[in-house]
Amino acid sequence: MSTASEPAAAGHAAVEPSAAPQAGAVKLTMILSGAVFALMMVFGLIMRAAQGQWIELDPALFYQILTAHGAGMVGTAALSGAAILWYFSGRHVVLTAGIFWAFLGLFLLGVVLILGAIFVGGYGGAWTFLFPLPALSGGAWEAGAAAAFMLGYVSIGVGFLLYYLELGRQIHARYGSLARALGWNLILGREDKNPPPPTIVAAAAVTIFNSIGIILGAAVLVASLVHLLVPGFEVDALLAKNLIYFFGHVFINASIYMAVTAVYEILPEYTGRPWKSNRLFAIAWNAVLIFVMAVYWHHLLQDVVMPPWMLVVGQLVSYFSGIPLIAVTAFSTFLYVRGSRMTWDLASSLLVLSVAGWSVGSIPASIDGMISVNKVMHNTMWVPGHFHTYLLLGEVAMAFGFMAWLVRGKTISQMGGLDRAAFVTYLAGAAGFVTVFLFSGAASIPRRWAVHYEEWLTHDRIGTLFSVLVVLGTMVFVLRFVARLGRSGD
Amino acid sequence: MQPVVLLISLILMAALTAAFWLAARASRGEAPGPKANSKRTGLIWAMTIAGVIISVGSLRQWPHALASTGDALEVHVSGGQWWWDIDTTEIPAGTPVNFNVTTEDVTHGMGIYDSGLTLLTQVQAIPGYTTKVTYTFTEPGTYQVLCMEFCGVAHHDMVNEFEVVAAEE
Ligand code: HEM
Ligand SMILES: [Cu+2]
Ligand SMILES: [Cu+2]
Repeated sequence: MSTASEPAAAGHAAVEPSAAPQAGAVKLTMILSGAVFALMMVFGLIMRAAQGQWIELDPALFYQILTAHGAGMVGTAALSGAAILWYFSGRHVVLTAGIFWAFLGLFLLGVVLILGAIFVGGYGGAWTFLFPLPALSGGAWEAGAAAAFMLGYVSIGVGFLLYYLELGRQIHARYGSLARALGWNLILGREDKNPPPPTIVAAAAVTIFNSIGIILGAAVLVASLVHLLVPGFEVDALLAKNLIYFFGHVFINASIYMAVTAVYEILPEYTGRPWKSNRLFAIAWNAVLIFVMAVYWHHLLQDVVMPPWMLVVGQLVSYFSGIPLIAVTAFSTFLYVRGSRMTWDLASSLLVLSVAGWSVGSIPASIDGMISVNKVMHNTMWVPGHFHTYLLLGEVAMAFGFMAWLVRGKTISQMGGLDRAAFVTYLAGAAGFVTVFLFSGAASIPRRWAVHYEEWLTHDRIGTLFSVLVVLGTMVFVLRFVARLGRSGD
Repeated sequence: MQPVVLLISLILMAALTAAFWLAARASRGEAPGPKANSKRTGLIWAMTIAGVIISVGSLRQWPHALASTGDALEVHVSGGQWWWDIDTTEIPAGTPVNFNVTTEDVTHGMGIYDSGLTLLTQVQAIPGYTTKVTYTFTEPGTYQVLCMEFCGVAHHDMVNEFEVVAAEE
């Protein structure tokens, strides 16, 4: 590992973060994200301890916490990803500050509605609001609570649409068309004097697929809301499920595809090798644009009344999505890191870790995307096992790495004692935590069960212990970020 | 099936983790040589070919195929918040069983567990639809139906059981 005195690292440390436009809004968003991540992790820890019967939790409250954790984590992953993408897109296009504030305001309004729906109204229908469960709670919550929850989503969705409208508009203004920003000139071998940088390719792709996702999500939200108010208004449950999982899958994946721009933009400062757009990179992103939308059928592999070809597409795309991720993103990371003499501080370590966690987490995901495997793994703990891998060790590591980079000192130096301890604690905790989930899935333990059988408690308890480590590491990351922000006077 | 899936997953995950670990350590070593890009091309081809083989192999026999109605025992399972109703309580071993699954309210998931709490098969129960899944039991014993799709505050209580009995000679 290297030290600050080495020229390769020191030479790239000079970019002033506060020189970036709207850095203040982004930093505020990252404080909020860090705090909510930490709080939601404590919720996760409470659920795990309750499943292990170390604490007692009324099942109704468990499912409310599950709902808050799911919606809160997905929302915060998206929020932090959006802040990162906004920050780095600002290096290439001019973005209107007011739009970001409107986005943040609508987001917070949504959070208030969602938290009120859950902890005042008692809504516990999970973040997936699967039709018609919000309207049929069996007495656990009133229609008003379900409506408030869904209106919260609508508010967040409107904020995101504004965000993407502005991003798409400015990319269009600077690059002439979204097709060019997606790197089509590179793909078609046409000359392009000013090819879109990786961040813009990512921004263009996410703008397209997440806008589509949110619009379809809004459609099913509106239908569900009308169904709550007008009981005679029926919606086909399978159609609603398709729309919900299309939206949910695209939305959570978009958070990673937004946050990965931190890797594209920050890692070069350490390796001294710019992350460039080339033909392969553009092809990979255009494939992702299609794959991320076509793959959502892997959530419906046990809905056997679906047309079989859709399930086949779900399985195939689950596998082939791994190629752009592993052979392009992960492989490029290897090439950039090898022989770079980079300094391993907290930011660079977390960012390289994030690519690892994301890629490694895709493996159990694609395996579960096989219809025959899914038959015995669907809705077992295998599922939280794989998605916590690419969220905890992927998206969240990107966000924490970005935060560490925002408050890095004038010179980059190797990790100090506390940083190293926090990093190792977080990594060990998260790796152990997700591995336990995978073992639990293989042991057929169903997911989303408030009360566990005797046979399962050992899994839950080991998982609880690992969660404690994750929470501890997170506390250090977040408090360190806030303390350093304060010191640098922002 | 589950232990094999777990083992393969863990091996592949460990291998990819090792690749990252080696790359991180090699930050102090040699820069990648001119062969790096052909290695990448090789990787893309290897993943593509493996993918085609795995896909064909795992889909050639349709995983949701049902037993033909002539040979199979038809069993009807209906679910609601928060109960399962199974119209046959004694199922002979060795005969293919077609489970016809419906729900009276929200979406549920019908998961069949053996007495060792291993999940054998499952299918979603979707409002307005009848979903079907075939399973042939080999061992007599008590089996359980657990709910596999979150359906409200008593989701974890939505359990019922049935018996599989030795086939009459
Ligand atoms: C200390 C860290 C964490 C702990 C202890 C934790 C714990 C849990 C637990 C116990 C569940 C329910 C498992 C079940 O189905 O029985 C869960 C579900 C979930 N978690 Fe986490 N989690 C953590 C971090 C995260 C992070 C960082 C994210 C995303 C950024 C996340 C997203 C989710 C989602 C989306 C669900 C699904 C909720 C649902 O089934 O409706 N979690 N988590
Ligand atoms: Cu149920
Ligand atoms: Cu259920």
